[in-house]
Amino acid sequence: MLNPKTPETKPVKLSVKDMHFSYGEKKVLDGLSLDIHAERVTAIIGPSGCGKSTFLKCFNRIHEVASEVKVGGDMQIDGIDIYRGGIDVVDLRRRIGMVFQKPNPFPKSIYENVAYGPRLFGVKDRAALDELVEDALRKAALWDEVKDRLKESATGMSGGQQQRLCIARALAVSPEVLLMDEPCSALDPIATAKIEELIIELKEHLTIVIVTHNMQQAARVSDYTALFWLGRLVEMDLTERIFTTPRERMTEDYITGRFG
Amino acid sequence: MNQPSDSILGDPLSIAVLPASTQVKPGPSDFRLSRLHRLADRWSHLLFLGCSLLVVALIAGILVFLSSKGLAAFLPLSGNTGRTLGFSEVFLSADWAPSNDHYGILPFIGGSLTVTGLALLLAAPTGILTGVFIAKLAPSWMRTLMRQVMDLLVGIPSVVYGIFGLTVMLPVISRTWLKDAPASGFAVSAMILAVMIVPTIVSLSTDAFESLPQNLDEGAQALGASRWQAIASVLIPAAGPRLITAAVLGLGRAIGEAMAVQMVIGNNPQWIALMRESTDRAPFLRALFTPAATLTTELVQELPNTPAGSTWNNVLFAMGLMLYLLTMLLILATRRLGRGAEA
Repeated sequence: MLNPKTPETKPVKLSVKDMHFSYGEKKVLDGLSLDIHAERVTAIIGPSGCGKSTFLKCFNRIHEVASEVKVGGDMQIDGIDIYRGGIDVVDLRRRIGMVFQKPNPFPKSIYENVAYGPRLFGVKDRAALDELVEDALRKAALWDEVKDRLKESATGMSGGQQQRLCIARALAVSPEVLLMDEPCSALDPIATAKIEELIIELKEHLTIVIVTHNMQQAARVSDYTALFWLGRLVEMDLTERIFTTPRERMTEDYITGRFG
Repeated sequence: MNQPSDSILGDPLSIAVLPASTQVKPGPSDFRLSRLHRLADRWSHLLFLGCSLLVVALIAGILVFLSSKGLAAFLPLSGNTGRTLGFSEVFLSADWAPSNDHYGILPFIGGSLTVTGLALLLAAPTGILTGVFIAKLAPSWMRTLMRQVMDLLVGIPSVVYGIFGLTVMLPVISRTWLKDAPASGFAVSAMILAVMIVPTIVSLSTDAFESLPQNLDEGAQALGASRWQAIASVLIPAAGPRLITAAVLGLGRAIGEAMAVQMVIGNNPQWIALMRESTDRAPFLRALFTPAATLTTELVQELPNTPAGSTWNNVLFAMGLMLYLLTMLLILATRRLGRGAEA
């Protein structure tokens, strides 16, 4: 966790200004502005339905898969507008990877799951693929468990292993940002601990945004914490400050479990 | 004592106000009633058992009947007036001329396989892609509409498809592409069959895609796959076993279909010879538009006109037996695949 006394040295990676999001007629996000720093873990907390997951899905524009949505305002990665016309969504998604709430390995072999992304981007050479797969699995702390059964189906793994496989799969295309949508909500405490350990290791080279229901998790893994409520940002600050000396009364109430 | 309110348990409220002694003592009336219930239970049990046994007996009876008639062609069974045939002169011969005592059924086996194979070739890709469209791409109002249309199409009697083929497709194709030469044959039969089995394949493959975990294609697209890549490389393989089941069930329907095919195929048992000899047309035109026959069409055509117990009649029953076993095999295969998909 980042110490409030030392100044932030990392640049802003993702910047959001006055962002609006509606799903059909329903307003989900209303005037959000915040900055996310590179190589830090930013946790987004808040009660169910506050728009945290939606917010996350705006970064890689994956919500466009689902249905009619309207996005307004400004979202930037390294100063480039994510919603500008002519942006290559495929390239955007290579730079911004995502891990979902429920582990969603493809019903293919472990190897093929990890190789899926690189293959999409045209890596055909077997040796190069082998190397990428091993590297990604090592980064996801899964290599030792699966190196002898890479050809086996991924659906036969435990839930925790499946989620780490999904992380490896996202890492295989070397993204700069990793979005994690409640990655541990379907996992037992031991598997959760492993993922949290992994998150802390991964932030060496990655910007991580994690949505979580679990406030202890936010306190354990994140440098920054943002509290959302009804589609608005209540407060965002260093995690240590949010959990010790929040500026907003609402934050204090939420942290101490008085609402939400 | 057959009032339902006088059952053993009775009304809990009235029990509460009764003195304890009358509550627990089982009167003789309680016994009578429960015996009545038990009797009704036993009778209804017998009724259900009887019904299911009847169904099983019917299926088994058909198999026994078909086998006794069909095997009579090859075995010297009692009451058999026909000639006992060798296996190869029936299954390995293309010469079907019952009046000359030749009983080769290869043209019919070949015809059935060709027609169903072609139909599946047309229907499976169309049906599966339509399934993807309905389950994953269509807006919800269209999804509901398409599903209802498919369910309706499954119920259309095959003779209606046959009439359409006979009165519309044959003349139109003959006029536009074949310079008024007859269009009956494998092409139109397969097209009609394909139209008939597409709704089945669509319904089942829509189910297959809808039962996939929802976040699977999101996962693929989050890795940079386009919508089409996600469908082709993740969704279709994931639904694979159930898609094969859909195709096999379509195949089962196609192989057993007689009416519609019989109306458009031309019913020519000598199609192999005719195809070989008529050299005035391009080979693929010949293959597609030569009048032909299948196991089912030949049965419909000839069975009513042959005397029972004759060799001819026996061979037709052997063809029926073959169809029966083939369909059984397909159903068993589907079961197997279905179980594989669940595991």
